[in-house]
Amino acid sequence: MNTRAASGLERGDRRFGLMLTAPGLAVLFLVIIFPLLFALITSFFDYTLINPNHDTFVGLDNYQEVLDEEYILTSLWVTLKFVLASVMIEFAIGFSVALALNSVTRFKNFYYLILLAPLLINPVVVGLLWRMILHTELGIANYAISLMNIDPVNWLGNANAAFWTVVMVDIWHQFSFMAILLLAGLASLPREPYEAARVDGASSFSCFIHITLPLMRPVIIVALLLRFVFAIKTFDIVFIMTKGGPGTATDIISYFIYRAAFFGLDIGRASAMSIALLLIVLALTIYLYRYMTSLR
Amino acid sequence: MSEITLRNVSKIYGSDDAAVNNINLDIKDGEFMVLLGPSGCGKSTTLRMIAGLESITAGDIFIDGKLINDIDPAERDLAIVFQNYALYPHMNVAANLAFGLKLRKVPKDQIESRILKTANTLGISELLTRRPRELSGGQQQRVALGRAMVREPVAFLFDEPLSNLDAKLRATMRTELVKLHNDLGTTIIHVTHDQVEAMTMGDRICIMRKGIIEQVGKPLEVYRNPANIFVAGFLASPPMNLIEGSFEQEGDSLKIEVSGITLTIPAHFANAYGNVHSRKDVILGIRPEDIYTDSNDGRYTCMETQVVAVEALGPETIMVVKLPGGKEISARLDRSFRAPIGSALKLYADIERMHLFDPETEKAIVAR
Ligand SMILES: Nc1ncnc2c1ncn2[C@@H]1O[C@H](COP(=O)(O)OP(=O)(O)OP(=O)(O)O)[C@@H](O)[C@H]1O
Ligand SMILES: [Mg+2]
Repeated sequence: MNTRAASGLERGDRRFGLMLTAPGLAVLFLVIIFPLLFALITSFFDYTLINPNHDTFVGLDNYQEVLDEEYILTSLWVTLKFVLASVMIEFAIGFSVALALNSVTRFKNFYYLILLAPLLINPVVVGLLWRMILHTELGIANYAISLMNIDPVNWLGNANAAFWTVVMVDIWHQFSFMAILLLAGLASLPREPYEAARVDGASSFSCFIHITLPLMRPVIIVALLLRFVFAIKTFDIVFIMTKGGPGTATDIISYFIYRAAFFGLDIGRASAMSIALLLIVLALTIYLYRYMTSLR
Repeated sequence: MSEITLRNVSKIYGSDDAAVNNINLDIKDGEFMVLLGPSGCGKSTTLRMIAGLESITAGDIFIDGKLINDIDPAERDLAIVFQNYALYPHMNVAANLAFGLKLRKVPKDQIESRILKTANTLGISELLTRRPRELSGGQQQRVALGRAMVREPVAFLFDEPLSNLDAKLRATMRTELVKLHNDLGTTIIHVTHDQVEAMTMGDRICIMRKGIIEQVGKPLEVYRNPANIFVAGFLASPPMNLIEGSFEQEGDSLKIEVSGITLTIPAHFANAYGNVHSRKDVILGIRPEDIYTDSNDGRYTCMETQVVAVEALGPETIMVVKLPGGKEISARLDRSFRAPIGSALKLYADIERMHLFDPETEKAIVAR
């Protein structure tokens, strides 16, 4: 009796919940699931912007073509370099900042605010801002270094400099994400083991090595993986600042796919690449999820 | 082996009142010193200042005559067992024990043999590969103790290490700690608010209240001669009965009137009273165990009382009774003794063992 009444209520609740979420789910479906399925289907067709229809089924040909692509390895290599460089440097800076902020007691909120500011700026705006700052003749960066008698640098025009400029801008934009995440982890560490370690004879350095690092391991892994996933998808700042150039210096995979679709006009091939990229990111995400749930 | 000396030590957190207020304490080499006091009286703070985990606001702390105020905790070579154990959560038991030794660059084979020996002593050999979260409270406590022991420090600091254990395990660990102290002969400072621990374990007890030391002495000494009302009312359970009263001069003999009962003051108290006290008011203290059901051939003083509550504890019966003036006192009587609640009961107090306190200074009036 009772249980039936309860389950009836439960069913009512569930229906009400579904009704509430339906509009949101519909929008999600339209902007995420539908494009995804469309891309998946398109990746099996010879679908170009000259001939935009699903008439010619080509099976896995698009995927085969992607593997044969001449410059895709270059692009993947640039992406790998970019992801590793920016995430690792962000981690180093973020962790140092988090450690420093963790021992600060006064004006903590003020520092938080400064730290969070770049993160709140839209990536497109970040790209535009830095393009102006780094402008060869008019930018403030070259003016500043000219005051120190350093020759102006062609930040975005020189192949070697451009790659590191993009990395630097990404670090400027994103390191605080890492810092905030790690800071939250540090703040939640128990205090007692540190006291025990100090009495046991540990210096600050051995406390860091033997206590902070092992206890922070889950947070570090989550922070790194999240940033890896985000970094692989980086598009905006490259699109705004370098357009993948000069040459292939900053031609990361997302921009490479974009070019295939809207310059090469070959939507089928671009879709195949997107799906492949999605699978890589998905694998990383699944690992992340598994890891996080295995901690409980 | 070491002597620990506190000179005018104070600790003030932020802008609060002093958590520890100008205390002086000499702990002798190899002594088992118990710090006893109610919650918040500054026991942990004192211990943490000795360990170096808390800065000293004023005063000096010496170990073996060496000033250690500004010496890093790592170099004091003390071992502390924390109130909440504070094991390293990411290391197994063996690694917890080994940590301090590794930092001190003890050779590997020696580390291993010391861990095994300590684990055997504490009965935790089977737990060496477990993580702290896989241990019960009692097991964690023994690991925390092991981590302190294995280091062979100059002194142990225990912060209520037995407070989380069940009664039986606590009794066992009490004896174990005393044995450990006898075997090692290392100086121990043991913080507790448990009466039994204080009475049975310590060479001396230091009773604290609100950041100051009320009395230091051998357990039985403090029990027999509490220096003031606080110590009298804090030590032992049930504690000493404290009854307000006033003196009456009746011819040659000095009498005291407490809660409707008149007692004749023994001569040695009368003398002490004459020396130190000119007021009429006094507080009389009598321990529950100095109250009997028979008069011992008229030597004890009779009190007409009414039974309020009976606590049959097994080994003894605690009787709460009301004096004619309305004051309730407790008496520790034979385990077989029973009386219905509300009934009248004649009890006899051994007045020779009474204590008198000055209500103004709260200090004991010492009999000579
Ligand atoms: N870190 C701190 N900051 C501010 N005040 C503190 C701090 N630690 C302790 N106190 C205060 O100092 C006083 C003494 O605290 P302490 O921990 O030494 O008491 P205790 O005798 O160990 O009590 P318990 O038996 O409950 O452990 C208390 O009033 C407490 O509120
Ligand atoms: Mg405490």
